[in-house]
Amino acid sequence: MRNKRYMAKVAAFCFILPALLVAVLLLLYPVLSSIFYSLTSKHLIKADYDFVGLKNYIDVLSDPSFWKSFWINIKWTVVSLVGQILVGFTAALALERIKHCKSFFRTVLIIPWAFPTIVIALSWKWILNGVSGFLPNFLVSIGLFEKAPQFLSSGELVFPTLVFINIWFGAPLIMVNVLSALQTVPKDQYEAAQIDGASPLQSFIHITVPHIRMVVGLLVVLRTIWIFNSFDIIYLITGGGPAELTQTVPIYAYNVGWGLKMLGRSSAVTVLLLVFLLIVCFMYFKLLDKWEKEGTA
Amino acid sequence: MKRRRLLRRGWFGSTVSYIYLAVLAVIAAFPLVWILLSSVKSKGEITSDPTAFFPKEFTLDHFKTVFGQLGFGQNIVNSILVAGATTLVAITIAALGAYGVVRFFPRFGKTLTRVLVTTYMFPPILLAVPYSIIMGKIGLMNNRVGLVIVYLSFSVPYAIWLLVGFFQTVPLDIEEAARVDGANKLQVFYMVALPIVAPGIVAVAIYTFINAWNEFLYSLILMNSSEKMTVAVALKSLEGQEVLDWNVMMAASAVVVIPSVIFFMLIQKKIAGGLAAGSVK
Repeated sequence: MRNKRYMAKVAAFCFILPALLVAVLLLLYPVLSSIFYSLTSKHLIKADYDFVGLKNYIDVLSDPSFWKSFWINIKWTVVSLVGQILVGFTAALALERIKHCKSFFRTVLIIPWAFPTIVIALSWKWILNGVSGFLPNFLVSIGLFEKAPQFLSSGELVFPTLVFINIWFGAPLIMVNVLSALQTVPKDQYEAAQIDGASPLQSFIHITVPHIRMVVGLLVVLRTIWIFNSFDIIYLITGGGPAELTQTVPIYAYNVGWGLKMLGRSSAVTVLLLVFLLIVCFMYFKLLDKWEKEGTA
Repeated sequence: MKRRRLLRRGWFGSTVSYIYLAVLAVIAAFPLVWILLSSVKSKGEITSDPTAFFPKEFTLDHFKTVFGQLGFGQNIVNSILVAGATTLVAITIAALGAYGVVRFFPRFGKTLTRVLVTTYMFPPILLAVPYSIIMGKIGLMNNRVGLVIVYLSFSVPYAIWLLVGFFQTVPLDIEEAARVDGANKLQVFYMVALPIVAPGIVAVAIYTFINAWNEFLYSLILMNSSEKMTVAVALKSLEGQEVLDWNVMMAASAVVVIPSVIFFMLIQKKIAGGLAAGSVK
């Protein structure tokens, strides 16, 4: 009998074993080895390296370029996130409101979400191309600009342009998730509020928001992290330029690791990035627990 | 009061909504439309008249260049192989894992969700350094199998997260009935639970496939010979040429983006239901 129960436990464990192996070999071990390499002088090509203690961290933290990337990273995350939520949310509310062509709009609006990053980069680079791109020439032809604006190479325009593309890409995801969260709000509450004379804004704040808060909260955190970490979209469109104006921390880490070939120092940058994100995530879990308690109380 | 009601229920609010959505739709669809139009215009046309919409002469030459001269066919095969193998392995591991957690370790569930959220915080660039070192050591650099292994790192946690939700909907009594009839755990899993969540599995599988198809960073770092590159990296390498041929780049982009757009439209409703869609991209 005891033997049988033991066998059942082993069988149950076998189900989750492959997943655990993935977690340990592909996530835990690489993270630990990153921490290890961050304490060494590991080079991209040379085989031997030395243990250098905290030198990499000191070098990184005293590099003004790192701090500049950090602030660009924060700015990039906040502006993109606010933009994506604003557009995604308003689009979802507008879709809720209309009667005709709902599924047509919904289908067209999710197109950007399906774009591979490299195609996002190539298509926008082509549309914004300073010589034969559609948009600069169009803006000149309708008289808004005298000379074709250089969206991706002018120091003033490059950051807003990049943020615009990121909003273009990310808003559909917010829209779709907000739409499905809105389905969970009981409709009769709106009617009751309307009878009581509540304005649309009031019913939005007092009925809609509390109902979708958890779902949207999780969404916002995941998006924040994802935008903060985003590498491809920046690397492929501007490569961090011109003059490091769009260089975020992941791009900085890549340039240190693969440009300067200093993998050890690059690891130090990514470990710092992880620590920062762990702190953000920890604070979020605290908030989530608080909301859960409020919900049950 | 009257005006307020008009805004709420009346034509005004919906007219504004229609106009707003129409503007957004144009912005959302424009790059796709422009890729397609640029890919069939002639070489002189895209530079001489940048704002002209429809092609004056229609040509498929650029697609011929993409598949002939550039050998893009091989890159597409690579991407299908890598994304297909990733999907197959990841879904198998994730389905077993998600079912195991739901059935046998339910208390572990909340911790698991948090661990999975935490793995999303790993910046891909953090894992890129150790992956390139490890793959070099075990001889899987520039190797499609190596790339599949690396892709499991993001596809397995994501698939588990989505599938846990689906397996929670499987009623326990059906499974118990099967147990009474003498089926063992594995049989109950694939003969009872799996068919019930099959539609969910298909959606997650397609999503996993698209994510692997679109992946760029690991492929950039691990694959360096053009005949082994995935389409994403092969597309990037077109940009490295001295004279940029936008016609050809748009034709190649069209080849890459169209399957992705079609698949997305097919599964979007299913994926969105689980919210978790918000997780990765």
